[in-house]
Amino acid sequence: MDSDMEISLDRLPIKRLESIEENGAERFPSDVDYDDKRVSLIRRIDFAWALEEEDELKKKKQKKSSKDSVEQWKWKGMVENLQLAHQELTVIIDLIDTVQANDAVTVAGMTRPKPMPNEILSDLAVSTATKLQGYRNLGNYFKQSAKALEQKINREARFYGALIRLQRNWKVKRQRMLASNASNEGFTIDLSDSSLYDPTSGFRPSTLSTIRVDHDSAGMLAINVPQDSWYSLRFGYVGLNPIGNSNESDEHIDSTTGHDIPGTSEKQSASDDKYVKETHSLLREVHKSIFAEQLFDMLNREAFNEGVGFNISGLRENFMEMSIGQGASLFVSLHPSGKNPSIKKSESATLLIESSGRVEPAEGGDYRLKKLGFPNRTSYEIYLQQIFHEHAFGKAKDQLKSKSIRASNQTEKDSNSGLLDHFCLSLTHRIFSNRVLVHLESVVCKVPYLHLISHPTWNSRTSSWTVFMTVPPSIIPQGRSETQSPDGKRNLKTQFRTKVVVKDDCISVEAECTPNVVGLLKSSSCNLFSINKYECDVADLPVMILQQVCSFVS
Amino acid sequence: MDPQTQNTSLQRLQNVENRVVKVLELAGGVMEELASPSGPKKEFVNSHCREFMQSMKDIQVTLREEIKSACEYRPFEKCDYNARIANEICFQKLEYVLTQLDDLKQTADQYPSSD
Repeated sequence: MDSDMEISLDRLPIKRLESIEENGAERFPSDVDYDDKRVSLIRRIDFAWALEEEDELKKKKQKKSSKDSVEQWKWKGMVENLQLAHQELTVIIDLIDTVQANDAVTVAGMTRPKPMPNEILSDLAVSTATKLQGYRNLGNYFKQSAKALEQKINREARFYGALIRLQRNWKVKRQRMLASNASNEGFTIDLSDSSLYDPTSGFRPSTLSTIRVDHDSAGMLAINVPQDSWYSLRFGYVGLNPIGNSNESDEHIDSTTGHDIPGTSEKQSASDDKYVKETHSLLREVHKSIFAEQLFDMLNREAFNEGVGFNISGLRENFMEMSIGQGASLFVSLHPSGKNPSIKKSESATLLIESSGRVEPAEGGDYRLKKLGFPNRTSYEIYLQQIFHEHAFGKAKDQLKSKSIRASNQTEKDSNSGLLDHFCLSLTHRIFSNRVLVHLESVVCKVPYLHLISHPTWNSRTSSWTVFMTVPPSIIPQGRSETQSPDGKRNLKTQFRTKVVVKDDCISVEAECTPNVVGLLKSSSCNLFSINKYECDVADLPVMILQQVCSFVS
Repeated sequence: MDPQTQNTSLQRLQNVENRVVKVLELAGGVMEELASPSGPKKEFVNSHCREFMQSMKDIQVTLREEIKSACEYRPFEKCDYNARIANEICFQKLEYVLTQLDDLKQTADQYPSSD
């Protein structure tokens, strides 16, 4: 094939399809030139309104007739005007867009029409009114906040005033909680004393030692401690006193009652005072209870060490019973106080009788106590508390002092302090010496020549008495006990003393002798007897005294 | 002296709180005055604003002093709980002695006086 191939190209139309109809016919946009398009858009701008105004002046009559239908809706005219304005704006914006797209022209700016004076003023008026309204709202807000703040301050002043007064006596601690309770600011009163804690002894702090400070209904400070949760220490002889001893801490209210009296301020402050005092008393009771628990705990530990003076005969929760010498049997218990005020009231008659001990109907119990020679249980309750407190406190002091010196040399010798032993021995001694006293009194009673004097020994396990015998000079034989004094008078020895000392349960008697035996004029101890058994004492002590008396005379 | 100063310190803080309330009231008053339709009275606004600024200064001074003195107080340095227990024991002793004395008195009263 050598002939040239001819290729003919048809010019295809380069046009965007505008739409395709259902029957397949294609529709192309009308081929409008740009300039024509621009002109047509400009033509759309309708200046008819300008012409209309000119026509209006000519056509006044026609307008008058159509006035009655104008008042349908007063805003209708404004709406129509707005719609017409919207139309005109659309026309112009279309023109601007077309010009902008094709001629790479950007709109330089559109100037706002200059506001007319009345428009300026009305704008100013609106903004001023808004500002005034804002100020008024702000003023109202400030005044309301002032009132609310004042109320809150007054409420809290009572709370914080009470809290500060309590803080002078107790440790108040604060813990910022996670704001889960908005009403509680996390104040607690800490009643534990960390200096007394011995970590080696494994002593755990009581659950009572941290007390939460709450608000009551009137916003005042309130402390809620359930009635039965604190204890008091009881000590007594088994079987000899009824349960229920006088206790001054009965009627404590554990939360404020009726503090929402809207009375005068003096009345409120007086009742606030009273309330703070009540709270203080309640805290005192709880603090005492913590000490009682510590003491009982220490007693329990001591009980497991074998002691000479006591035998444990019973051990229960919060109750310990032991038998000491001389036929006495004691108990120490932790008694929950504040229990059932109604029951307390009915027992109050017996309580009074028990404490005073001098009302006739209850003499049976006391008489038995006196007959057996048992000392008053109150005094020994106090003594028990005292020795343990001194021991604990002294131990704490020593720990503080010697902490730096010997760190690890502290052995477990503190666990056996022997205090319970000492206490039981003291009590035994007291019972025994009461019996000795009874015998001495029976010897000396109704004899005018004998006088019995008891001496205080500042030792709980020692007692001493002296029996003085006054001999009338007429029976002293002449020349036996004379001494020549410088002024020639006769000095007769007319008083002889016998000293009786009881240590634990050993009696020793010292007596003066007549000069015959020793040959000296001064008093000297010549007889020393040790008596170990009580049975010997019953028979021997009066006999010994009488023997002494006779030796003085003979 | 310490409990006294604490008491007055509390009173001073209470005064500060009252002052804050007063300051708020002043602010509210000024705002309302500005919002009055007949225009604010100048001397009213001026006096209130002066009082406001003075109160703020006083509050600031008082609070600064209180904060400085509060930092000097170290709590729980000497815990007196031990002494408190010793005190309670002494109180029990006193009560006991009183009952004994009452007994003595009653016994003495039983015997007719020997005049």
